[in-house]
Amino acid sequence: MRRVFWILLLVSIFLSFSAVAKTVLVIQTHWSDYQVNGIFNKSGKLIYPGLKQYAEEYMKLHPNIEIKIREVPFSNYLQQLIISHMAGKEADIYDLYSLWGVQLVSSHILAAPPKEIINAVKRNFVPASVKGATINGKVWGIPSEIDDYALIYNKKLLSEAGYTEPPKTWDELVKMARKLTKYNSKGAISQYGFAFLSGWNSAVVHPYLSLLYSLGGSMFNKSYTKCLLNNQKGVKALNEELVLFKEKATNSAGNVFNFPQNTVAMMIMAPWYVRSLKQAYGNQYTKYVGIAPIPPIKKPATLSYTWFFAVDSASKHKKAAWDFLKWFALQVQPKTNTTRAGDLEVNVISVIPPNKIDLRNHQKQLADLKVFIDQLKNAIPEPNVMQGAQIKTILMNQIVAAWNGQKSAQRALDDAVAKINSILARYYH
Amino acid sequence: MQVSKNRLRENIVAYIFLSPILLFFTVFFAFAVGFSVWVSFKQWNMLISPFSAPNVGLWNYSSLFSDPLFISALRNTIVYAFTTTIAVLILSLLIAVALNNIKGAAVWRFIYFAPTITPAVAVGMIWGYLYNPSRGIVNEILGWFGIPSHNWLTDPRYALMAIMITAVWAGMGASILIFTAGLKAIPQSYYDAAKIDGASRVKMFWSITLPLLKPTILFLLVTGMIGAWQVFDLVYMMGTNAPASSVEVLSLYMYNTAFVDFQMGKASAAAMILFVIVLITTLLILKAFRKGGLESYE
Repeated sequence: MRRVFWILLLVSIFLSFSAVAKTVLVIQTHWSDYQVNGIFNKSGKLIYPGLKQYAEEYMKLHPNIEIKIREVPFSNYLQQLIISHMAGKEADIYDLYSLWGVQLVSSHILAAPPKEIINAVKRNFVPASVKGATINGKVWGIPSEIDDYALIYNKKLLSEAGYTEPPKTWDELVKMARKLTKYNSKGAISQYGFAFLSGWNSAVVHPYLSLLYSLGGSMFNKSYTKCLLNNQKGVKALNEELVLFKEKATNSAGNVFNFPQNTVAMMIMAPWYVRSLKQAYGNQYTKYVGIAPIPPIKKPATLSYTWFFAVDSASKHKKAAWDFLKWFALQVQPKTNTTRAGDLEVNVISVIPPNKIDLRNHQKQLADLKVFIDQLKNAIPEPNVMQGAQIKTILMNQIVAAWNGQKSAQRALDDAVAKINSILARYYH
Repeated sequence: MQVSKNRLRENIVAYIFLSPILLFFTVFFAFAVGFSVWVSFKQWNMLISPFSAPNVGLWNYSSLFSDPLFISALRNTIVYAFTTTIAVLILSLLIAVALNNIKGAAVWRFIYFAPTITPAVAVGMIWGYLYNPSRGIVNEILGWFGIPSHNWLTDPRYALMAIMITAVWAGMGASILIFTAGLKAIPQSYYDAAKIDGASRVKMFWSITLPLLKPTILFLLVTGMIGAWQVFDLVYMMGTNAPASSVEVLSLYMYNTAFVDFQMGKASAAAMILFVIVLITTLLILKAFRKGGLESYE
């Protein structure tokens, strides 16, 4: 009798715990603190909700769900993702850079989205972002951000040099950059006519690829068995950059992040930097900052890259994870006719929302990014290739060597191609 | 019979006392090294189980020697290790001798030791500002002597040298302190006797100070060399904007290969090569000192 009592007691305790046990969803993101926690005014009132507030809203609607947010810096993001997946401590939902997608898909780390999500993405999102989230012909998540590149210029520095308009062609840019570059008495550049950034693979490679695309070039052949960068177009694109170095209109010590100090006249940058510029310049923003399409060498072109929400294949709550993403990134709010993810992307993260409805209904807030949005029509997505990050770093190293005069454009790209082809040979036949 | 039984019991007790450290050593060192050796023969990217990763034999090792970046990293590490270790040794010995028995020792000690206790990240940032091509104090000072500005941390000709200067500055404090302790251990009577014999200061330095500091020099040479071979933080902090081939060192190469490219096999092979280099260098130093009549630094 006593034994029966104890068994019943244990069973009832277990059942009561099961009844209150919540499904815990972990979201891993590289977003910074204010993008997660929201933007508050000086008196502590929330102006724009961050991811945390949306998670709280969802938890209120779904009391059986608990959402935890794991913030990981961009520089450690992929390492953290892989190590935590291996250790069985994976997040359920990731915000992923498209370049990592091929590796993660081929290693079965990502879960395939439900059909309705795939259809909604194909139907509702801008084509460049859909291509970004597509790996081996299949959509693997919901695009969360689309970025392309444009020329950001300092209006005041240009007007001081007698220019009322930004350059329209690359040749014009070189000419203007030469005039806008100033040296101090010791021979160091005190004002960059045009600035590159050498320590970050995207900052080096993306502007170069934009120029390559302007020439009608391509990084790989269609089957990804060969890198094509050392052909005539690839070499010309790099030589066009090198002209700026030869003309002493820039050097490898330049830094695009010095733009707010008014020591950089022109640079090629992505839209996410615009918020930083707005914060730095305050109400002087329009007086100083101008944005124009990248001056083409031949035809207008820019590179685009995508981030997308995906679900870990090892997640125990895949359905709950996709349900949250549907609510967050696909469901249109009747009041605003926008998605919650779109609001966050526009108001807080300051990137181009990839959902067409957000682009349409956020036009006022997106006025500063208009050039970037207009250029999406000329955008060519960064190729989703195996070992993409490694390939990009190899290319960066060779481009920077050419910038520093260690190698000619042809030699640098020959060396890059040899190394990249040896990587491609391991994965593509 | 009784004696051997007692010895056996003593041995068992000794091993019981040693067991925590043996366990610690096995888990955190022997296992890690063994695993690394095993992985160096595999093509493992961390995305799959290492057991299902394909065996590639010596491919990782051979691919390293056909990788120009690895060769550059090896060359840079050799230059860095020998230059910084020897520079730190010579400069800190000279400073320690100069400051020996000087008034206000505590103040001097604080001054020379401060860089040692400063985190490498802070050192890297501060020197980054000093080396700034347009606003940095280094170019400013050089400008007083009519020397044109240089892009210290981005120009491939100067980037490694600039980092080595910082490393020497940051690394001298501990060496000076150890040399000072070594100098204090030399009996004053040796110098007094030499003075009576009419020896000059230079002669005393060469004939008394230097020979008696041999154990200290050996200790600093071995530990300095091991540390220099493994340099990572300063190069990671200060070398990001320079062409990789001009500043990449072996530790950074290993880190990038493992955690950026996810080629754990190749990174492990590089680690094995670094291990062999450090071992050979250390043995050569010990052998050289042994020829000079020194068995160990103790």
